Amino acid sequence: MTPSVEPLLSLKNLGKRFGSLQALEGVGLDVRAGSVQCLLGENGAGKSTLCNLIFGVYEPTAGDMTFDGSAWAPESPAAALERGIAMVHQHFSLVPRMTVVENLMLGQVRGVLKRHEFGARIRDIAESFGFALDPEAVVGELSVGERQRAEIVKCLMRDPKLLVLDEPTAVLPPGEIGALLDICRRVADSGRAVILVTHKLAEIAKVADRVAVLRTGRLVADESMADADMGALVHAMVGRELRPLDVALAETDEAPAEPADAPKGFALVCDGLTVHDRHGAVRLDNFTLEIRPGEIVGLAGVEGNGQSELGMVLAGLLRPTEGHFYIGGTDLTHAGAGAVTAAGGGLVPEDRHAVACVTGMSVAENMFLNKLDRFTRFGLLQRGALNTAAQKQMREFDVRAASPEVAFSGLSGGNQQKAVLARELTLDPLVALVAAQPTRGLDVSAVEAVYRQIRAASRRGVGVLLISSELDELIAVADRITVLYRGRLVGERPAEMSERGAIGALMSGQGA
Amino acid sequence: MTALALSLPDRRRLLGMAVPFIAVLGSMIVGLLLIAASGKDVPDAVEAFMDGAFGSAFAIGASINRAVALSLVGLGFILAFRANLTNVGGEGQIAVGGIAATALGLWPPIANLPLGLAVIVPLLGGTLAGAFWGGIAGVMKVRFGTNEVISTLLLGFVALLAVYWCVQSTALLRQPQTSSATLPESLAIADSVKLPSLTGNSESPLHIGLVICLLLAVATAVVLQRSTFGLRLRAIGLNELAARRAGMPGGILLVVALAIAGAFGGLAGAIMLQGEQYYLKTGFSSGYGFDGLVVGLLSRGSTLGVLAGALFFGFLRSGGISMEIMAGVPAALTLVIQGLIVIAVAGSVILVEKLQGGR
Amino acid sequence: MEEMLAVFIASTLRLAMPLMLAASGELVSERAGVLNLSLEGMMLTAAFFGALGSWASGDPYLGVACAILASVIVSAVQAWLSVNLRANQLVVGIGFNILALGATTLLYRIIFGGLSREEIPGLPKLAVKGLSDLPFAGTAFFQQSVIVYVGLALIVLIWAMLNHTSFGLAVRAVGDEPRSADKAGIPVAATRWKAVLITGFMAGFAGAFISIADIHTFTENMTNGAGYLALAAVIFGGWNIGRTVAACLLFGAATALQFQLPAMGINVPTAFLLMLPYLLALLAVAGVVGRLEPPTSLTLPFQRGK
Repeated sequence: MTPSVEPLLSLKNLGKRFGSLQALEGVGLDVRAGSVQCLLGENGAGKSTLCNLIFGVYEPTAGDMTFDGSAWAPESPAAALERGIAMVHQHFSLVPRMTVVENLMLGQVRGVLKRHEFGARIRDIAESFGFALDPEAVVGELSVGERQRAEIVKCLMRDPKLLVLDEPTAVLPPGEIGALLDICRRVADSGRAVILVTHKLAEIAKVADRVAVLRTGRLVADESMADADMGALVHAMVGRELRPLDVALAETDEAPAEPADAPKGFALVCDGLTVHDRHGAVRLDNFTLEIRPGEIVGLAGVEGNGQSELGMVLAGLLRPTEGHFYIGGTDLTHAGAGAVTAAGGGLVPEDRHAVACVTGMSVAENMFLNKLDRFTRFGLLQRGALNTAAQKQMREFDVRAASPEVAFSGLSGGNQQKAVLARELTLDPLVALVAAQPTRGLDVSAVEAVYRQIRAASRRGVGVLLISSELDELIAVADRITVLYRGRLVGERPAEMSERGAIGALMSGQGA
Repeated sequence: MTALALSLPDRRRLLGMAVPFIAVLGSMIVGLLLIAASGKDVPDAVEAFMDGAFGSAFAIGASINRAVALSLVGLGFILAFRANLTNVGGEGQIAVGGIAATALGLWPPIANLPLGLAVIVPLLGGTLAGAFWGGIAGVMKVRFGTNEVISTLLLGFVALLAVYWCVQSTALLRQPQTSSATLPESLAIADSVKLPSLTGNSESPLHIGLVICLLLAVATAVVLQRSTFGLRLRAIGLNELAARRAGMPGGILLVVALAIAGAFGGLAGAIMLQGEQYYLKTGFSSGYGFDGLVVGLLSRGSTLGVLAGALFFGFLRSGGISMEIMAGVPAALTLVIQGLIVIAVAGSVILVEKLQGGR
Repeated sequence: MEEMLAVFIASTLRLAMPLMLAASGELVSERAGVLNLSLEGMMLTAAFFGALGSWASGDPYLGVACAILASVIVSAVQAWLSVNLRANQLVVGIGFNILALGATTLLYRIIFGGLSREEIPGLPKLAVKGLSDLPFAGTAFFQQSVIVYVGLALIVLIWAMLNHTSFGLAVRAVGDEPRSADKAGIPVAATRWKAVLITGFMAGFAGAFISIADIHTFTENMTNGAGYLALAAVIFGGWNIGRTVAACLLFGAATALQFQLPAMGINVPTAFLLMLPYLLALLAVAGVVGRLEPPTSLTLPFQRGK
């Protein structure tokens, strides 16, 4: 069915601000009925915010929307549902303890429940779009793919004009993706509009009619699939322009010489690490990697491909379903966070607020959170010594704050990151460092400082695993680059500019 | 910098601190209105209240003794709360403390100990019993993920009934039944076990519990503000993952925090027994556990706040009893005021947060 | 022996009845995510105002109405504090219990003066023809006051509501995954409000039973922890209404045994029997007695977007 001429949904100059964070700015997009519109971007790019605006979870702070011919300003998801917009969320909004039919009846029926009737309707809708779904199954016991199909039916029962799917392929094993895309195509062909939000471009290429790319809140590309160049799209989504910084970094890159007192053997060894999340989806798949002392290995990949799970495992905060990892030869798979730190495992996580720091405490307290004993005499904390030491470290690592006693939450993102890095880099011993998205949100000078420190650490003999989606940075800093896709290592390339295209392709799933 | 020149955030923070006081004041005003509504003479009632609260050496001494027990429970509460744990089992921890102190105090080998050990050993016993009781809830939280509110509450009831059990059976702590009229209570502890008086003034019942309480209050303040342990409790309460990442033994800290809260409660029970009551009977804790909890909550983590709140409630209780005896106003009024205060403060938290957090 | 068994069954039912009524109501609240520690306070308030209403008007049915009204008002305030003001549910609950104890004792002294054991007009026992003549437990089961019959019917209604109506579905969703419920268009706050009001309503029945149907008077602190027992029953019953009712019967039996066993010459300490419900609830909450899963969002306030 050819897409109609008038757009079903039209966004003009849409913007959303959360406090001091500008999540979206100047977004303009048209979506037509009968078409599948793909919205690309990595986490933090603003895709979820955009969907939430369309769906009525938030209200825009700038610009306006038009839907189905009239102005569109929903006050709540309920209002959006009523007018014909339905959304399949990335994190399913199902109640695990209830059955499929109960979940779908939620908010849909009044009075006495007629499970049989409703169940029959569910079966019918599923069939008409080419799949099967058991209404009496308890949601908590369904596979991820089945749960997703239940979510989709939930939406389709409302007979929506626009169906939005947020990262639908992220939780699916490769084998089930085809079925999902098939459903999307059929939905569009039935006269509705479909918006597919994802970062896995390669997978949805077959089914999309148009592609739009979001990066740091702005729309940076908007074209029809037929005209699109895959490489350019990936670059638009993930890369930055090459800058003098990168050139400088690349120039000063010495060949990593093995320091004289380097420990024998590997700094970090991951052997078959596998992680299943609580829904049974595979987040990390047989991850195997060896890092030598003094080596910087880059792990490229768009966020959401298993990086956070890997970081949690290597920090000792998450037990892998299978596999082992070793730091300096010691098996730390089941040892716990304290043991990992004691064995010399440092971690700069991507979400420092969740794992690395206690935002309510002061800068000094955070910087020495794992070394408090050093400043304790008779059980009392020697604040003077603590603050002095913190000040010294702050100067060394260029952490800018009014004083070491201010609340950690008062620091800018860049300084917080530098503080966490300072803490991890001053671990003694430090054998392996895992740094995940270390430069996210940092300005140029901060980025430079971070990489200088990481380089210095590697020259001291620390093995570094640098996890990042900033390809240009990885190429400049790492010795070699491996690519993580869907939790699996899908290839390794030398860290050179000429390999950029190949690495980018691997990151988006091509050749996987 | 004059008060007027205070920046808006500072002014709001001050207002935030004032909210509990406003709640207390409001509740007391309601109390006065109730007295008037019940037809009793308000000035008479107020005079009786003042008299009973601080009108004589006896009154003051009794009030302070009450405040001591309340403070201890409150101090234990804020220590555990620092790790984001809510201990609702104060009443039960007092109970087990009392049981242990009575059992040890009635045992001749202990009652005959020299050098004041006859006093100290039962106190320690009560403290350990309370620590054990609180620790159970801690272990349940770490091993089974049980919400400590539910577990400490249930444990509290079990402990209260344990007291009942102990005084019902002569095999346990019940005094020998010489006649059918023998009350279900324990024997009285020997003089050697009783807490020595603080002032030597026979008018005032004030005992050394006050000294113990003040020492522990100082210790609590030091632990919370200056010690590494206190910092670790705070870390675990604010962000358990980050604390564990920094090498802190999360589970152990939680168990210890609840055990300490329990220990304070147990000590309070022992002091109540050895300081005033001298023998064990059902319900000897008479609500001090819940009152201490209220004091802890209202103090918002400040040791001085606990002491102030405990004094307030101590005087309130003494005054309430006197109001009943002398002015005919039911002591239940005190409960009404207390209930109103708790609800008012709890309900106003959102207001305080808005003022202090600037969300 | 047969006589004793009949007495035992009658006692059990008598003691379990207020528990069953209160627990069923509280169950609805907790399934919706709200924990009402103030259940004790609600029951006590209801018992008092029910007795007051009955005594003042001479009509026990009016008394029952007063009891329910009083309890519902208390529950409404609890709902406002827990749901709208997002206050700490546990603290509010304890506060209400203290307030209820103080207020009912105070008003009792003022109105009835001292330790009067004045009898208030109570509800008569209605016999179900034919069935109440059954030997053995006929009287116990089928000769009860109207509150019992109505109450039991209400409990069945609650079961039907939770499992077979859209409101019940909403309640269950709101207690487990309020975010998902919100996305499905369910008004989370309003649902929780209604659930708490249902608790108040049932607690009203429970309190009325104690003062009007069972004992025909009011005494200070009459409920004496029955509210906490009901809470323990909900926990031990795994938040399932059938098992909760069974738990109430079990707890009622344990309490009844304290009089029965001595009469039979068996010497189990009363205290142990009284402790048993709480010990069982503790075991349940530790996950020792089967895999118990409380509603995932129990005691957690809800705010959209957080």
